[in-house]
Amino acid sequence: MTTKLFGEPVRRREDARLIIGKGRYLDDIGSGALAAAFVRSPHAHARILDIDVEGALDVEGLVAIYTYEDLHGPMAEPLPVLIPHPQLTAPRTGYPLANGIVNHVGEPIVMVVATDRYIAEDICDRIAVTYEELPVVVGVDAAREATHWVHEDIPDNVGAIHHQETGDVEAALAASQHTLSFTQYIERSACIPMEGKGVHARWDADDASLRVYTSTQASTSVRAAIAAKLELSLDKVEVIAPDVGGGFGVKIVHPWPEELLVPLAAIALRREVKWTEDRREHFISSAHERQQRQEITVGYDDDGRLTALDVHVWHDHGAYTPYGIIVPINTATQLLGPYDIPVYRARINSVYTNTVIVTPYRGAGRPQGCYAMERTMDRIADALDLDRAVVRERNLIQVDQFPYDWGLTFQDGRPLIYDSGDYPGLLAKLKTLTDWDGFEARRAEAASRGKLLGIGMAPYVEGTGPGPYEGGHVQVLGSGKVLVSTGLTSQGQGHETVFAQIVASELGVPIEDVEVHTGDTRRFAYAVGTFASRAAVMSGNAVALAAQGVREKALRIAADVLEASPDDLEIDEGLIQVKGVPGTSIPLRTVAVLSNPLRYAFDEAAKQATQFAKAGSDDKPPVADGDAPGLEHTDYYSPIRSTFASGAHAAEVEIDPATWEIDVVKYSVVHDCGTVVNPMIVEGQVHGGVAQGVGGALYERMAYDSDGQLQNASFMDFLMPYASEVPDILIDHQETRSPLNPLGIKGAGEAGVIPGTAAIASAIEDAVGRRISSMPISPTELYDLVRNPEAERTATSRRRSGTGAMA
Amino acid sequence: MNLDGSAVLHADPDRVWAIITDPAVLARTIPGCESLEQTGDDEYKMNVTVGVGAIRGTYAGEVKLSDQVRPSSYVMHASGAGGPGNVRATVTINLEANGDGTSLTYSADAVVGGPVAGVGQRMISGVAKRMAGQFFQAIDDELTGVVVPIEAAPSAVAAGEAAPAAAAPRVFAGKAVAAAPAVGGDVRTLLLGAGVGALLTLVGVAVGWRLGRNR
Repeated sequence: MTTKLFGEPVRRREDARLIIGKGRYLDDIGSGALAAAFVRSPHAHARILDIDVEGALDVEGLVAIYTYEDLHGPMAEPLPVLIPHPQLTAPRTGYPLANGIVNHVGEPIVMVVATDRYIAEDICDRIAVTYEELPVVVGVDAAREATHWVHEDIPDNVGAIHHQETGDVEAALAASQHTLSFTQYIERSACIPMEGKGVHARWDADDASLRVYTSTQASTSVRAAIAAKLELSLDKVEVIAPDVGGGFGVKIVHPWPEELLVPLAAIALRREVKWTEDRREHFISSAHERQQRQEITVGYDDDGRLTALDVHVWHDHGAYTPYGIIVPINTATQLLGPYDIPVYRARINSVYTNTVIVTPYRGAGRPQGCYAMERTMDRIADALDLDRAVVRERNLIQVDQFPYDWGLTFQDGRPLIYDSGDYPGLLAKLKTLTDWDGFEARRAEAASRGKLLGIGMAPYVEGTGPGPYEGGHVQVLGSGKVLVSTGLTSQGQGHETVFAQIVASELGVPIEDVEVHTGDTRRFAYAVGTFASRAAVMSGNAVALAAQGVREKALRIAADVLEASPDDLEIDEGLIQVKGVPGTSIPLRTVAVLSNPLRYAFDEAAKQATQFAKAGSDDKPPVADGDAPGLEHTDYYSPIRSTFASGAHAAEVEIDPATWEIDVVKYSVVHDCGTVVNPMIVEGQVHGGVAQGVGGALYERMAYDSDGQLQNASFMDFLMPYASEVPDILIDHQETRSPLNPLGIKGAGEAGVIPGTAAIASAIEDAVGRRISSMPISPTELYDLVRNPEAERTATSRRRSGTGAMA
Repeated sequence: MNLDGSAVLHADPDRVWAIITDPAVLARTIPGCESLEQTGDDEYKMNVTVGVGAIRGTYAGEVKLSDQVRPSSYVMHASGAGGPGNVRATVTINLEANGDGTSLTYSADAVVGGPVAGVGQRMISGVAKRMAGQFFQAIDDELTGVVVPIEAAPSAVAAGEAAPAAAAPRVFAGKAVAAAPAVGGDVRTLLLGAGVGALLTLVGVAVGWRLGRNR
């Protein structure tokens, strides 16, 4: 069939629009709107003594100034704890505007509305807030020591202790031939989407209805939150995610204070109001992730097979816990990777600090878990003098062990059961792709040039596509246009292309006829959101089911017209025909017209559906019992549990011992995300993920000083990899269908970032022979490490001494 | 919403009481006052045009006094309605001797309604305090003789003359008879602001009210 598009590298249909400036991002909306700006806390922890607006009153263009005193009812209460969990025993969330206390630099205190943003910011500068500074807790170690408290009623700074285990780990460790214990760290980074957050609100006073545009990953839930907080009926609130310039997790959090305050102002002032986040605001008042202290004890035998694994993680969740303990749960459960570990215990103390909140950033706790597991594998290989690939191979879950039930609970509240995979296959492909066995020759060659070359690998397993559900609506219009809608949002992933491919393939229509809409509550009101690599799995299957429903109805109507059995019909290029009988056909668009019996003809096509146009049965109503007019169908996909994608990365780094610059010279990826809808888009996801992985390993960190001031809150100071720092990426595919969903899809959105830190740490350690136990690492830190006589040297390095590999 | 504030005036409470209850003085010291009209026992109407930044406009209000304990306290009830909003306020004023001068404190409980209420309490109270400050500065200037009172043209009220109850309305002209034209900006914003500003003048000025009868 010519319309078979599923699995093809179809070019992204949204790109032309986005690339030539025809995208419609938040800031493109509402050119006449009033502008909001915020006075944000300059202190990490302080009591607000006074807010003096006197100096702001003379500014021409001032419209309104809001503080906590202007919030009433639900708005005066703390923001919601979005994902409650029994182990989150001390949740805390902020207020839309600070209520007497600020707990991190950047927390909003005053909202100013003015005729434009320049004036609004000038007014912010003139509002004088007086503070009493309080002791500050910065960093996971300070929170753990608990000399000071973030929230005065939580004296140990612990918001939650997440604890899961599969058996008696202490007994298993005691019985192990070998054990290793070590502590390591990973730093904060952040999503840093190109487009920050933004909100535009318009209140129709006559209709008493509100329309909100927001740069979000969860428009339906933002809608529900606005309705609840502003005490509006849900049917009076519409929320639309326009084109969104990247999310990477930060925009799944909601409602952000601004998502409530901007509508509040629009209602109060009866004017359009808009706020567009600037870059500094994004750094200091959105969300970060990743910082953990990991205390690991592992038991293993002489062959390097794991017998028990015990991890105790201290997880910095920042000042508040709006997103619950999803990130710690991901670390605890996804740390296990592709390995068969007999006894496992994870304890994660999730602690408060006076810094920006921690919520999922692409990977969402998994990069830290992978880092913990893979550094453990490297240490075992080092201790036993085994090839790092061999240790991994010996511990892999085998193909015949699926479904692999861990006896743990995943972040969707469902059992942690790996549905399918081929982990030995992944590692074999990776070794071939990256020429693992030929590495020593390359090391020698680099050494001859005076460079230190190292290699590292890191496989991973990623739970993707968690429920509870997504829905899809497919409608064929009389024009032949096929409208596809899902409530899940897009942030540039290519949903307009992928969902169109799925529907075009299921329905047998040209992709040009298909138009996809996402994240608009006017079009589809039931949805969960875009996170956890779930869009293709969830909405992909939902729109496929909806398209199948449309196909079924179309064939039924066509069978009636063509006097054939539906089973004998096929749809190709938008034409329904009897198989093997050319010429006996009816266009799908005509079926769409006929599906809606008409009294009135408004155009030529409609005439065909009017009451005198065709002889109907006098015994049956025009719309049969149980049927509905129109060629459309809505369906939902709700998975029993998450599906588990997998993959393996290998990084090769070349280090210049003069500058200690770390250059990733080769990066290999083998990935398995089940059925691939569009390999080009999947590879794009891998590329982006690897770029963020390299950033997290070598460049990005949140440089908080001890006072809780973020010292690199700008693109001048926050390093991100440019194209020049992102290596060429070798990619190989493996396709293990998921048995859990009709299309066999597993998620692909986050995978690329997960093993980056682990693989690059391993490669650097391999190159310099010094234990890498804190990531990211800069050239300066690497220089200090190799010059430090106290630094731990790897056993491999000692064995290799004299070979010239490391001085 | 509550508004509290204070001022120190350079005269003893008796003199302060006398001056802040002189309609002629009030008409020229209330910021933006265009006219002040007695409509009955302890009841007055006034028009003010006030403006601070974007908040400016004309507002008509009514004021009534009660609980007068000369020279130490009284309560003022103010209300008004304009296109952009409405207000109702109860203000308690206390005068207390402080050395050679007087400490005046006021406490207002105001209900602000209509679109004008949407601009935020801090902004409303900020403007109110500024208006009150201007008013007390003007009063203090009167007390200390910095300003030589100009005889307001239609004011037939000589100092010490008791205002007859239910007499024909008497009007006292303010300094702001010519309303300042709206400057730039968009009209709705200005309208919004107008109500607030006027209301705040009312509230701020309320502090000074005590007219006629007990003089």
